[in-house]
Amino acid sequence: MVNTFKKISLFSLFSLLISCGGFKDDEMRLSSWVSSPQETDLFEATLQEFRNLNPDIPFDFEPIPGNYSEKLQLMLGTNTAPDVFFLKGMISPSYMSFGILRDLSEDIATDPSFDSEDFYPALLEAFQKDGGQYGIPKDFSPYVLFYNKEMFREAGIDSLPSNWQELEAAATALTKDLDGDGETDQFGLVIEPVLEMIMPFVYQNGGYFQNPDGSLGITDEPFIEAVEFYHGLYRKGIATIPTDVGQGWNGDTFGRGKAAMALSGGWLLPFLKENYPDMDWGVAELPAGKQKATIAFTTAYAMPKAPNYPEDAWKLVSYLGGKEGMKKWTSQGLALPSRRSVAEENGFYEDPVFGVMMRSIEYARPFQIQFSERGFEEAVVGVQSMFFTDKSPRQSMLDIASRIEKYKLKK
Amino acid sequence: MSKTIKSKRWQQMKTAYTFIGIPVILFTVFTFIPIIFAFVISFFDWNLLIPEKTFIGLGNYFEVFQDEVFLIAVKNTALYTVIVVPIQTILSLFLAFLMNQKLPGRTFFRTAFYIPAITSSVVTSIIFVWIYSKPGLLNYLLSMVGIDGTDWLTNPSTALFAIMALTIWSTSGYFMITFLAGLQNIPKSVYEAAAIDGASTWTQFWKITVPMVRPVTFFVVVLGLIGCFQVFDQIYVMSGGGPVNATTTMSYFVYNNSFKFFRLGYGAAAAIVLAAIIFVATWLQKKYFPSNPYQ
Repeated sequence: MVNTFKKISLFSLFSLLISCGGFKDDEMRLSSWVSSPQETDLFEATLQEFRNLNPDIPFDFEPIPGNYSEKLQLMLGTNTAPDVFFLKGMISPSYMSFGILRDLSEDIATDPSFDSEDFYPALLEAFQKDGGQYGIPKDFSPYVLFYNKEMFREAGIDSLPSNWQELEAAATALTKDLDGDGETDQFGLVIEPVLEMIMPFVYQNGGYFQNPDGSLGITDEPFIEAVEFYHGLYRKGIATIPTDVGQGWNGDTFGRGKAAMALSGGWLLPFLKENYPDMDWGVAELPAGKQKATIAFTTAYAMPKAPNYPEDAWKLVSYLGGKEGMKKWTSQGLALPSRRSVAEENGFYEDPVFGVMMRSIEYARPFQIQFSERGFEEAVVGVQSMFFTDKSPRQSMLDIASRIEKYKLKK
Repeated sequence: MSKTIKSKRWQQMKTAYTFIGIPVILFTVFTFIPIIFAFVISFFDWNLLIPEKTFIGLGNYFEVFQDEVFLIAVKNTALYTVIVVPIQTILSLFLAFLMNQKLPGRTFFRTAFYIPAITSSVVTSIIFVWIYSKPGLLNYLLSMVGIDGTDWLTNPSTALFAIMALTIWSTSGYFMITFLAGLQNIPKSVYEAAAIDGASTWTQFWKITVPMVRPVTFFVVVLGLIGCFQVFDQIYVMSGGGPVNATTTMSYFVYNNSFKFFRLGYGAAAAIVLAAIIFVATWLQKKYFPSNPYQ
């Protein structure tokens, strides 16, 4: 009896100890987040292609199903990060400032088949710091204007809005009280109380979140004007926000026909196809302000500073981010290629939907700020305060400016 | 003779220590060491992603008390606790008292009240997000009596109260069971004697039930206090601390700073402050409202 206890306790102690011990991977690892089953299948197929071409490079694909950035952060901090991982363009400035990513410029220089001139410059820039290249953009998606063709026909609008005045006029014409109960059932536009969606208007108006000289631009006139225009659409009752009509995000509001227009990116396409297959919608470039502008969301393949298998990892990145791998990955249009040649080969420029997005990338900018995540969070609070309290856009921006200033990233 | 007793005793002790030992090791590895570690890193500028960890003494503590969002979080947490704990305690005692009567269908009611407690808080939170939404159930019910409801979770003046209501609803059933166990320990004879003396049910409740379940009340209030100070999952699922920090609580602040803003040292300092507040609150309660005043 006693012996058994001894054995049990020894055994549990032992298993506790070995599970604590460090481990060395015998294979290269690759991690991604998980968005949709279609994307996972397509990515697996792309990886299979790499396996066929390089049977001598074994690797493990370990998708992270939830809380991606928290888990990645923990792995990077404990030197257990995968050799290749996905990195969002929006958080790349802080990762680059922490000095935890591998500079890939040497790998690029020594790889003759990897033509980096082919990438859209704005997307490469999202992962550059002090002459280093810390990620290879795998794909992108810009904000474009989705519109409901049927509602446009009913309202007798035959041309798409090309500037702010026309956007406001169209939104006014499309805002309707269908059942006559005095409440609007169809809004011209659905917007979200988030900074990313305001930024295209700011850029169109010549403003910046952060000026080129590094100072905070949110209290400058061009910024405030753009915020006032955006917020004004909501206050005038011609735009709605998803929570006001009981939905989680603007794609759902647009799909359910609660709004005739929405700002969104490529991620809305499979959603509409799947959930609202009968809907007649189109996409257009964003209406311009003083200039054409939109923002592009991009993701990169990146490596930790000291990967276990640097050569193999680069081969994988070079394939996935190269012409062949990217062609396969973007073939179904779930994501848009960050290489011009791939976009041309896929015929995306001629496509009525993808063509709009490909034209947008010419003037799109990545939205990045040299402030820590806490600074970004303060900005989020500022935007919320003008939508959910009576604070004016100008006052909201003035109030948060000093709070954001504190969280500038150190050079 | 005495030798065999001794060795038998030794045998028993070995068994006992083995049984205690395993959980002690587990607690040490997963609880005690992390607590000490958190305390240590709260004195460092500890960013998980930056190899250099600088010792900054009380720097994090000075910063945390000047951080507007942290002060809002303290205020929100205090308000949350002050409202939720009394209501959930009184409500669960009242429910337990009712469920202890010989009512028809009381098994059904006991089960019904307890179901929220065994349902995952993430699930109940998501359901309540729908109930509280602008075209949701709550506003539909309110519209029947002619009230035009707001969007409960994006309105900064209602969001925190909406989450409080959810917590009260889901924990009252759980504490009701605790009180029920306490009520069953009260001897029937006490009630019978009171009934003979002509005490009404109401008087019996106040003069017998409430004082007799005092140890249970103490337990419920302590657990309630700790639970409220640590409220996290409902906030995480329902509001993400928003709108405009209206529902940012202390544990949500700790989470955000540690795992979203990469500042583990700063988050740890906030967590230590939270632990200190819980400790003081429990100590004050023990001092001024002892579980057994007749001792």
